[in-house]
Amino acid sequence: MSNSPFGDPSLPVGEDGHPLRRSRPHWLGVGVVAIGVVWIYGALALPQTAQYARVGPGLFVLLIGAALVLLGVLLVVQIARGEQFSAQEAEDAMADAPADMPALLTAVAAAAVPLLTMRHLGFPLTAALSFALVARAFGSHRLLVDLLIGFGLGTLAYLGFAQLGVTLGGFLPLLTGR
Amino acid sequence: MEALASLMNGFGIALHPINLVWAFIGSVLGTAIGVLPGIGPALTIALLLPVTTQIAPTAAFIMFAGVLYGAMYGGSTTSILLNTPGEAGSMMTALEGNRMARSGRGAAALATAAVGSFVAGTIATLALTFAAPAIAEIAFIFGPADYFALMVLAFTCIAVVMGSSRVRGFISLFLGLALGVIGIDGTTGQARLTFGSMQLLDGIELTVVLVSLFAVGETIYVASRYRRAPGQINPLAGGAWMKWEDWRRSFWPWIRGTLIGFPIGALPAGGSEVPTFLSYAIERRLTRRPEEFGRGAIEGVAGPEAANNAAAAGMLVPLLTLGLPTTATMAVLLAAFQNYGLQPGPFLFVSNADLVWALIASLYIGNVMLLILNLPLVGLWVRLLLIPRPYLYGGILVFAMIGVWGLSTSWVDLLCMLIIGLAGYVMRVYDFPIAPVLIGLVLGPMAEKQLRQALAIGQGDPLTLVSSPLSASLLGIAVLALLLPVLIARLKRTAEAQPARDEEAAA
Repeated sequence: MSNSPFGDPSLPVGEDGHPLRRSRPHWLGVGVVAIGVVWIYGALALPQTAQYARVGPGLFVLLIGAALVLLGVLLVVQIARGEQFSAQEAEDAMADAPADMPALLTAVAAAAVPLLTMRHLGFPLTAALSFALVARAFGSHRLLVDLLIGFGLGTLAYLGFAQLGVTLGGFLPLLTGR
Repeated sequence: MEALASLMNGFGIALHPINLVWAFIGSVLGTAIGVLPGIGPALTIALLLPVTTQIAPTAAFIMFAGVLYGAMYGGSTTSILLNTPGEAGSMMTALEGNRMARSGRGAAALATAAVGSFVAGTIATLALTFAAPAIAEIAFIFGPADYFALMVLAFTCIAVVMGSSRVRGFISLFLGLALGVIGIDGTTGQARLTFGSMQLLDGIELTVVLVSLFAVGETIYVASRYRRAPGQINPLAGGAWMKWEDWRRSFWPWIRGTLIGFPIGALPAGGSEVPTFLSYAIERRLTRRPEEFGRGAIEGVAGPEAANNAAAAGMLVPLLTLGLPTTATMAVLLAAFQNYGLQPGPFLFVSNADLVWALIASLYIGNVMLLILNLPLVGLWVRLLLIPRPYLYGGILVFAMIGVWGLSTSWVDLLCMLIIGLAGYVMRVYDFPIAPVLIGLVLGPMAEKQLRQALAIGQGDPLTLVSSPLSASLLGIAVLALLLPVLIARLKRTAEAQPARDEEAAA
């Protein structure tokens, strides 16, 4: 797990109390190369030249893919040479702390929930679920209250944005059939 | 003087009661999100983009200008009272401002920040008034090859300046460019990189990428490393307002900060970090009370705050005159223009003069409004920080969902939100800069269009890209921007090695 993006609580701790990140996240560079390869593959399926414009729709895509492959390789080399990464500063966050895995996964679940529920349960209920999950990731333990607040917020937003002409799908598609 | 007449016309439009209401809404919203952690002006404007289908362009841009300026006022409030700079531009303010607040001079620090922002905003907007039409005039001679060279220069500067590593800066940029080619190719109608999905034919919306990277990525990141003990709000009580002495000590830092901030903000990738840092360094050098720096010197608040505000006005210069966004917020503003079918650039001053001048005039009006909103009401704004964090971040995610789902109620967009949100988390953990992704996404398709036009004109000869003196020098500067830091580092190393060798020889 030494090269996971989620930090590792068992990492050695330096004199100043900060964990020493000795991880070598090669997978970062490999990922960039992989994206580059996908784009190159996509570009090769497209015509590289066009009759009049001389440059076809594929050339720019090909250049981007090639650049990503090159940059990914450079990143792998940097990492192999011991490049250090320090997480970005953010308000309310301790940048040098290891990731709190349960909180992290709960927050990811909150972002994933709409994929499962949005089309069937509609916006207000999905908002309630996501809101409660985020609140839990931030240490709230009042599930029912959180669900209610999330539902209220979702309903308000649903009605308010409808006034502005932004449609957020059916209110409760399973019931209304829309 | 033509500019002044146009500006007066702009005031006529911006002072229309309904537009004043929009400016007020924007200023209030901007200050609120500037105070709150987790939300910035770019995200807010992106979430407001749907209203562009409902309200007139002038009203929308007046509101967006209020959000942009308000966020800066709000950001300085939290830096001073809480030592939590919400954005890079208010980092320097926190240094001295928070010290002042701790020694009971918070009110004076807030006042010099607000008045300084007002002074700088006013002078910088005046500079924008005269500089923008002049630059737009020059931009008329730009051909496709010149535009392409200009964009390459902007890309290089952004990737080199933002973030801590050039490799990671360029990776961010090219990821944005890669996302930008998804969808139907504008020139030939070919579908590119759509992975067989019908919804991806229209491409990936900037809003989806921005909301996912900023709101979703930030929520996941902060949740994973949540600091349970929030910072202490410094009491305002006992703090005296600015005394005559404070006014005298703030005046020149305001002016100097403005003079530094505006031109640097106008450069591609100038941003607000460099000018605020420069301003702080200069004030520290020029002060007659060096002993106060680090313990709450008012000059250290006045200068950087002015520089920050002037830089924001400066950033509008390349956006309005060349259609070149240099920050995430400017990229969203460009998207807003495109939503209205407008293309910022030299022609905007001719075809939509009313809109441009109303926008510029509303910056003056926004400054006055924000001064009134912020000085007496600062205690009220700080109360926003009492919102419990679980609810604040829960709310941010709900609004992110509105932004993404409200676009076209598409499941694929929600999938993009999750994937790009996870990418945003990884980018924060491994310190990849976020803004280059958005700039690449917005500017990429434009750069490609100019490239293909230039090559078509040159009948496919790549040398046509460097055939005009303008494009050749722009590309030359881009190469310099890429190589100079390496050369300087190498020279430094040689220079450091030299004395060591001399010593060895002497021994």
